[in-house]
Amino acid sequence: MSLTLQQRLNKRSRSRVGRERTNWWATGLLGICALAVLVPLFVTVSMAFKSAKQAVDGKAFSLPKPLSLEGFTEAWELVNFPRAFTISLLITLVAVVGAVLVASMASYAIHRNWGKRFYRFSFYYLLGAMFLPFPVLALSQVKLTGLFGLDNPAGVAILHVMFGLSFNVLLFTSFLRGLPGELEESARIDGASNWTTYWRIIFPLLAPMSATVAIFAFLGSWNDFMMPSLIIAEQADQTLPVVQQLFQTQFSNNYHVSFASYLMAMAPSVVAYLFTQRWVMSGLTQGAVKS
Amino acid sequence: MNFGSEALSRPLKRRSFIASMLATGTLTLTSCGTDDPRASIRFNQSKPEVVPYFRDLLSQFNSSQRTVNATHEVTAGLSAAFARNDPPDLGCLNYNFEMARFQERGALSDLSDLPQQKMNAPFIKQLLDLYPDYPGRTSVLPYSMMGASVLYNKDIFEKHSLSIPTRYSELLDLCGELSDLGITPIYSTFKDAWTVSQGLADYCVGGAIEINQHFADLRELGSDFTPDSAVTFSKAFTDPLLRMQELAKFSNKDAANRGYGDGNLAFANGQAAMYLQGPWALPEIAKTNPDANIGTFPLPMTEDPEDLKIRVNLDLALWIPEQSDHKAEARELLAFLCQPELQDAYNESALGFGVRSDSPPTTDPRLKQMQPYIDNGRIYQGVSTAIPRTIPFENYMQGLVTGGSVEQTLATLDADWARLAQRS
Amino acid sequence: MTLTSPAKPRSDSKRPLPTPPAKRRRFEATYLGFLVPALICFTIAITVPAAMGIFFSFTDSVGFGDYNLIGLANYAALFTDPAIIGAYSFTIGFALVTVLLTNALAFLLAVGLTAQIRARVALRTIFVMPMVISGIVIAYVFNFLFSNTLPTVGEYFGIEFLKSSLLSNPDLAWLSIVIVSAWQAIPSAMLIYIAGLMAIPYDLYEASSLDGASALGQLVHVTLPLMIGYIGINIIIGFKNFLGAYDVIVGLTNGGPGVKTRSIAMTIFTGFERGDYAYQMANATVFFIISLIIALLQLRLTNRGQVK
Repeated sequence: MSLTLQQRLNKRSRSRVGRERTNWWATGLLGICALAVLVPLFVTVSMAFKSAKQAVDGKAFSLPKPLSLEGFTEAWELVNFPRAFTISLLITLVAVVGAVLVASMASYAIHRNWGKRFYRFSFYYLLGAMFLPFPVLALSQVKLTGLFGLDNPAGVAILHVMFGLSFNVLLFTSFLRGLPGELEESARIDGASNWTTYWRIIFPLLAPMSATVAIFAFLGSWNDFMMPSLIIAEQADQTLPVVQQLFQTQFSNNYHVSFASYLMAMAPSVVAYLFTQRWVMSGLTQGAVKS
Repeated sequence: MNFGSEALSRPLKRRSFIASMLATGTLTLTSCGTDDPRASIRFNQSKPEVVPYFRDLLSQFNSSQRTVNATHEVTAGLSAAFARNDPPDLGCLNYNFEMARFQERGALSDLSDLPQQKMNAPFIKQLLDLYPDYPGRTSVLPYSMMGASVLYNKDIFEKHSLSIPTRYSELLDLCGELSDLGITPIYSTFKDAWTVSQGLADYCVGGAIEINQHFADLRELGSDFTPDSAVTFSKAFTDPLLRMQELAKFSNKDAANRGYGDGNLAFANGQAAMYLQGPWALPEIAKTNPDANIGTFPLPMTEDPEDLKIRVNLDLALWIPEQSDHKAEARELLAFLCQPELQDAYNESALGFGVRSDSPPTTDPRLKQMQPYIDNGRIYQGVSTAIPRTIPFENYMQGLVTGGSVEQTLATLDADWARLAQRS
Repeated sequence: MTLTSPAKPRSDSKRPLPTPPAKRRRFEATYLGFLVPALICFTIAITVPAAMGIFFSFTDSVGFGDYNLIGLANYAALFTDPAIIGAYSFTIGFALVTVLLTNALAFLLAVGLTAQIRARVALRTIFVMPMVISGIVIAYVFNFLFSNTLPTVGEYFGIEFLKSSLLSNPDLAWLSIVIVSAWQAIPSAMLIYIAGLMAIPYDLYEASSLDGASALGQLVHVTLPLMIGYIGINIIIGFKNFLGAYDVIVGLTNGGPGVKTRSIAMTIFTGFERGDYAYQMANATVFFIISLIIALLQLRLTNRGQVK
């Protein structure tokens, strides 16, 4: 029987027979490469906790002495962190829920009616948007959102859902193809409507792909800078990544404040990632391979 | 499996929960309006140095009457606001090429029937003519004008009994004398491109040719413009810019590494005899040295003292967009701001010159020398304000003073202008 | 959830199920209800702006107010404009270099992470971290490092070109953007490679080591050929993403020094403030066509891969 590397690795760890040697060279090399990721993050944390006096000298590798929270309190005020955070959160929430719901429903309709031309064409029509990068549409979208009164966080959330639609529909339809048809049939025989069939049977089955879609949607929406900076007209309503621009023009030497702000902006997604690692990992690989 | 109504209600409840969550989220995101019963208008004024001043004026306006509530907006970059169909109700901005675009495309309403228009000083027409207006309209009302010419250190001039040059040859002699005395003739800050284009370039070109005529000719050529036309930048600007390079040589040795802040500091500390900047630098200079003895004279570029002119620009002009739903209320605010006492007080504090025929002359000792020129209409507008930002004029000028070739730069400028003319 | 109905013959889930005529209209309505609202929103949000953009590229509009149709004048001007040509050459060059660097490193990391190492989970966690951080934020952090820390290092070790900030060096500023963009993009490529590597049957390696192949030999003769498909897809997707580079550039150099590192996206976005809306719409249309060509290439590759 031919085992894949994955199965071999699992087998090995389960049997606990240390027959294969640990590759220390690789471990060491990877450890050194890991510094490339850890050092910038370390610098961010270190500079954020410095006091004003120590921060202005701009030495990245000195440790905070004394440890100070001044940077955080100032950044909190300057950037109006609660407001920016809430706005980012609301946009992301709507974007994620919208992405999962809208794309899955559209995919189901397309999948179930693949024989009909209208649905097949809709599929290719939606897919076409993957060829349209945001810069191509941006300025015209600025005009349109202004016209519809959507030049605000709500508009950004809607646009996030719409931009993700192509890729998400692709993911959901390919996943749906792998589902067995019996469950649906039985439900229909029992007299369920399409609506009920979908919500009671299909949607729960879509959970793994919904997780993938949700993760991509979350990352794409929470960390987005380009779209909110262009679409949201009112500066006070900007998202967390966009307000970080404040530190480039003013307060440029108060590194403890700017880095505290960067840290506070990074923290939510990093913490969320650390806690949901396993699901994120499988979700991302699955989605990546499927596409 | 039971698919009766009971089971149906569960997805229904979940669905409505999701829907209501989405709705609440969306409602929160589209911010609600205010509950003020008065008509609310937006006043956009973004010049940073005078934002507090106008904020005071606005609160005075709001408390002086009960029908209009004006809010102060300081966002710059109004093009996006116009594109969104969401411009402010009254704008108070620098009158430059970018702003001229609004009026050219008909985005600003007609203000020709305002009583204040009749009060404009005679030289105002020349300023407004630099940019094309929408046919049949007067789109702006001037509010404040800045006059700029060479700032010079009176103490240095007095100490060495130097006289103010009124001819180009005298200017060169003066610079030579100062160099011999070991004094930096001109303090330059080449690192900041805008200081070169608004200082050296504007003064040299403006003092040598008729700016308004040049650009009127270019506008007439329109898309027929080519680098071989009768009127080109190469033909008109070569001599003035060659002279600019000559003058630039009399700058401080480290000019390429110096910026606006360094220049203000250095000139305040008497490190140079002349400083080609505008009156906006005076408060900065005063921060370092409040007793600096500074005067102004126009940069001579010809051998005829009659050609001496002051560079001016409409630092603030009022306009009301065509798309505004509150034009009447905006006009109320406009009338308030244009009361002579208020307008004159503003110009006094901001070191600006009045734009009305009955405006009082400036009282600031540093600017007094410019008043006669302005009264006699011997003014011009900077070439840097007549070229759209899509052409990097500032960088071109910066290149010229750091060793570039005038011929090549002007050829590039002509090519840029030709390309622009083709597509507008 | 238990099924109480008797077993039915297995039907292909792709073919629509036979439905009793009375229920057909209800079915139709639900499916349409699932799809049509999304289609309408999509059309308004995506297709209409695209059409608008293309239309306005044939005018001299500044984004508001009056405008005239001017035919292909914008396009003619585009192809001779040094600013536009500069943006394209910078962006394409940067994208090529970055995609190659990203994929080379991602591949090596994937090989490393699927080897016999210790602390696999910890290392993998660390290497995936960069993709959850916002591009603009990490660009600001690196901005600080490039402007302050690297010059200090350069002084200390006497390395000449590091002594002044990389970001204000007109010839080398683009390197900083490559580095940070790669830093952020490596995790996603790496994950794909890991997935691909995990699916390789292990006895291929056993067989080749029995034949006396070294670890490097195995890599070249066993791993690489099987991963070619993944590598190809990653490179095309990566190239397309890097063409649209914006966040990282804004955070590091904002297009500077001068306009040396101004990407195509940044150039397009200046469209409103310089009265170049119609002009940049022509630029955007050209950019769209280029993306289209690349995407079609991508489709061609996936289809060929699937046929295999």
